[in-house]
Parts: sequence; structure tokens; C-alpha cells
Amino acid sequence: MSGLTTGGIYAMVALGLVVVYRSTGHINFAHGELYMIGGFLAYSFITQLNIPYVAALPLAVAATFALGAATDRLIFRRLEHSHETTLVLATVGLSFMLKGISRFFWGGRGEYLTIPPIVDPAPIFVFGIPVLAQQLVVLVAAIVIMFACLLFFRLTIAGKMMQAVAENPLAAYLTGIRVEQVRTWTWGAGAAIAGAAGVLIAPLSLLTPDMGFSLLIKAFAATVLGGLGSVAGAIVGGFCVGLIESLAGGYVSSSLQDVSAFIIIMIVLIARPTGLFGAFRLRRA
Amino acid sequence: MNAFTRLVAVCFALAALLPLISNRYTLFIGDAMLVQIILAIGLNLLVGYAGLLAFMNGALFGVGAYALAVLHDGQHWPYWLALPASGIVAMVIGVAIALPALRLSGLYLALATVAFAQFALWAFTHWDAVTGGPSGLKVTPTDFYPFPVSSETGQFYLSLLVAAAIFWLTRNLLRSRIGRAFVAIRESETAAEAMAIDVTRTKTLAYALAALYAGIAGGLFAPLLGLVVPESFDLFQVVFQFAMVVVGGMGSLAGSVLGAALMVWLQEGLRAFKDLQEIAFGGLILLTVLFLPGGVAGLLRARFGWREPLHRPTQRHQPHASA
Repeated sequence: MSGLTTGGIYAMVALGLVVVYRSTGHINFAHGELYMIGGFLAYSFITQLNIPYVAALPLAVAATFALGAATDRLIFRRLEHSHETTLVLATVGLSFMLKGISRFFWGGRGEYLTIPPIVDPAPIFVFGIPVLAQQLVVLVAAIVIMFACLLFFRLTIAGKMMQAVAENPLAAYLTGIRVEQVRTWTWGAGAAIAGAAGVLIAPLSLLTPDMGFSLLIKAFAATVLGGLGSVAGAIVGGFCVGLIESLAGGYVSSSLQDVSAFIIIMIVLIARPTGLFGAFRLRRA
Repeated sequence: MNAFTRLVAVCFALAALLPLISNRYTLFIGDAMLVQIILAIGLNLLVGYAGLLAFMNGALFGVGAYALAVLHDGQHWPYWLALPASGIVAMVIGVAIALPALRLSGLYLALATVAFAQFALWAFTHWDAVTGGPSGLKVTPTDFYPFPVSSETGQFYLSLLVAAAIFWLTRNLLRSRIGRAFVAIRESETAAEAMAIDVTRTKTLAYALAALYAGIAGGLFAPLLGLVVPESFDLFQVVFQFAMVVVGGMGSLAGSVLGAALMVWLQEGLRAFKDLQEIAFGGLILLTVLFLPGGVAGLLRARFGWREPLHRPTQRHQPHASA
């Protein structure tokens, strides 16, 4: 059960990564930090400003959306014509900057912040299996948010515009889509999904500025397992990584959880580089 | 011998005089700079010239340092044998990790190596039998008998020799057919392949060289510190090493030398403000990429106009449509 819950979180973060990757062709190495900042913002809203959790969730998501959109306007848009490596290096720089800034605001090394649980911490029983209600809330919310994202891409004009930009920027431009503006939304949307994941996991875990990186690697494993660039693959891959990890942790050794991402990535790259659902751009053009 | 080569030769010659005028601390900093120069040259070869993004350099630096500690202090190999061996250990492990990803597009290499960086750190901390766990391994100072030098001075001269040799070899390599193949792959893998360059093999070569340099740097770093602990090779290494390459100038060997020296100096300056370091180095990468794409080397080149083999061309600048 906890495997499903963490899997849901991995799936959300991986989904945000893939949304940005499909539209811009870049992997955002600062994505984990956006998740971390989402969690910390929720902490500040709830424990310092006494905002109820239900209101803190959209607030933190809006804030991470703004942050993601701002990074595009200030940084990534200016680098659009430079080499791919340059842009990824910029996201690496950004990631460490965000980490340092969070350390500055929310406490340094080795301190952990916690949020009081939002529901009764006593376990409830589902088909005779004891389950933490909080985990159930997180899982359901993650599924709802991911479903909403999929519907957004399928049904709304904005979602279709994002898909068009991902598919062929020039053609999208010729049909009158403002490609750059859509890209800004996309960076924002990716950040918002990561932020939402951060808010959801906040009551279940300890917050530390270093939590973004290890989560990012799990999300990488999820995207590689699902097929780099595949939206459905990211979601399924996220749940798979969460389940594999908790099973390996339970049956083999708990220290395997820390390295599961590396092992999964290596196995997928050796055995089936396209992942479960096929990769979007396997070889660079 | 052009102006650029002369300048670097003069720098290395001047550095040889450092032990005469320095105390133990400045000698230590000088040696640390040399070790970082080796790392920066390797990473620049990979990122700046071949255009491949990989995050394993800090981890392989650690592998080299641990390999030296195990071989030199554990197995009692002589240092002159353990040092190249630690480079080779890092290269073999690095290539084994990267080989599946090198066949695919560049992003896979980035993803696989970033996961490896985390895995290596975990192994350094938890594989007690070999790495000594969180408390690490002790490394005895190198004995330079029959040369009449103290082990610190000897270590400095050795690092200087190795750094100069690596600089010289890399410079010549980059002017050869192989160096041109690196740059061709950076600009377009498809075009490179169409010109009969074996893309996977050339990428693997660039990667293997970077891994070898990182391992040798680790082997030089271990006796310098006298102690090999996991913290020396944590994720901060990632941002630190990219900062050296980016600030110095991607695709410029002289830039790597300058960048490494500058970053070590800056880190010493920020030692009292440890919390600022992540912000400082991350911010430096961002600012350089945005406002000074050629790095310090690009700036100097524009000012003084030195020619360097296969220098990264000035960024293709296209004014983008404003929204």
C-alpha cells in the first residue's frame, strides 16, 4: 500500500517531467527542487500562516506554477537557440540555487520539518488490510490530479495547443499558436504538477531541502521504465517503481530502496531501451 | 607554438616555483587546484567538446580516490603503480555503467549517470567492507624517496606533472582527427554519422577519457587529503565541477584551467559561508550561461584574440520573436 502511495507521487513528478520534455525537448533537472519547494510552501502556509490544508494545496500549486513559468521567461527562453547541453546545465545550476535558497529559508542541514496529519492518523481497514488514511488520501488525490491533467490535454484548447507545440513547433506557429507563450505555460504546468506532489506528500514525510534530488532520480527511473516521453508510460512507470521499490525493500533488503532507481534504469537501458510504452525520441535527430 | 600554448606553458612553469615561496596551506590549495584542473579538463572534453552531458565525474573522482586508498594502503601497492591503476578502475567502472546509454540519445547518458552518482555515494557510505563506511579510509602520505622532497612538495610536483601532461595530451588529441570527430558529434550526430564517424565508439572514447582523468584526479586527491570520506564526493561535486567548466568556458582547455583555479579560490573564500556555496555555484552557472556563453575564456579571446584549437564557435545567436 505504501508502495502505491509513493508510486503515485513518483508518477506525478514523472508526469510533470514528461510534459515539459515533450513540449520543449529538455529534461528539467530542477524539477525535483520544484517538488521540494511545493512541500515547503505547504509547510509555511499550514503551520506558519494557519491556512487549512485544502486551501494551502491550490495556493502552493499556484506558487510553483508561477515559479516554473518565471524560470522559462527569465532563463530557458533566452537559451532556446543554444546547444541542448547548455540548457540542461542551466537547469542544473537552477536546481542547486533553489536548493540553497530553500536551505536558507527553511532550515539548514539535517533538520527536518513536519506537517501535522490532515486526517485521523489511525489506520483503517480496506479488504482487511490496514491502511493509513493519509496514504489513501494521497493516492486518491494523485490519481485525481493525474486524471485531470490527461483530460486537460485531451479536451481543452490550451492542452491541445501544448500538444501541437510538442508535436511540431513550426506547424503550430503557422496555425497561429504563440509557441513561446505555450512553452511558458508548459514549464509552469510541469512545475505545478511537481508542486502538487510536494504538497500531497508533505504530511507523510519529513521535509528537507535534499529531498528533491532523490525523488528526481526516482522520477527518471519511472520515465525511463515507461518510455522517455510517454505520458502514460510515466504514470505506469511511476507506480511500477513505487511497487518494485517497496517489494524489494520488504522482501530483500530495505537498503535497496535507495538504489532501486539506478538498478531499474540500468536494467531498462540494457534490456529494453524504449521502455514499456515506447520512447518519444530515442535518438537525437 | 602559438600565443595560447605559450601562455599555458608559462603558467605551468610559474606554478613549479610555488613550493619555494608558499606555506603548507597555499601549497595545499595549489595542489587542490591542479587536481581540479585535471577533473575540469576531462569534463570539458566530454561536455564542452563532445557535447555529452554526464554527471558521473564527481562519483568517478571518488572511485579513483577509494581505489587508491584500497590499493595503496590496503594492498600495499607502490604509489606509482596504484595511481594509474586507480585511473583505470574508474575508467572501467565508468564505461561499464555508461555503455548501454551511450548507444542512445544524449539524455539517456545524463539520466543513467545521474542515477549512478547517487548510487556511488550510497556505495561509498554503506559498503563498509571496502570503503570503511561513513568514517572512510586513511591514506598514508606518499614517500618520494629517492627524491629529496617532503611528501607535500613531492605530491604537488607530481600533480603538476600529471596536470601538465594531461593538458598537453588532450590538446594534441583535440587537434587530431579524433578531436574533430568529438566536435562533429556535438554539432550533429546525424551529420557526423554521415561522414563515416563511428558515433557510439567516439562517444565512448570521450567518455572513457573523462572517466580516466577523473580516476587519476581521485588518485592524486586521496594522499593530498590523507583521508577518503563519502562527503568529499557528494552531490555538491556535480555543481562544482560544472561550474568550473562553464565559467571557464565550454570547449576551451585554457578555460578549464582558469575555471578550476577560479572555483577552488572562490570555494576557499566561501569556506566560512557554507550555506552560500550551493547558491553561489548554481548561480554562477546560470549567469555565465545566460550572459557570458563563452565563459572567461570567451571573454579573454574577444579581448586578446588568441586562437585555440577547436574553440567552441561563438554561440549561434538568433534574435527570438518577442512575445
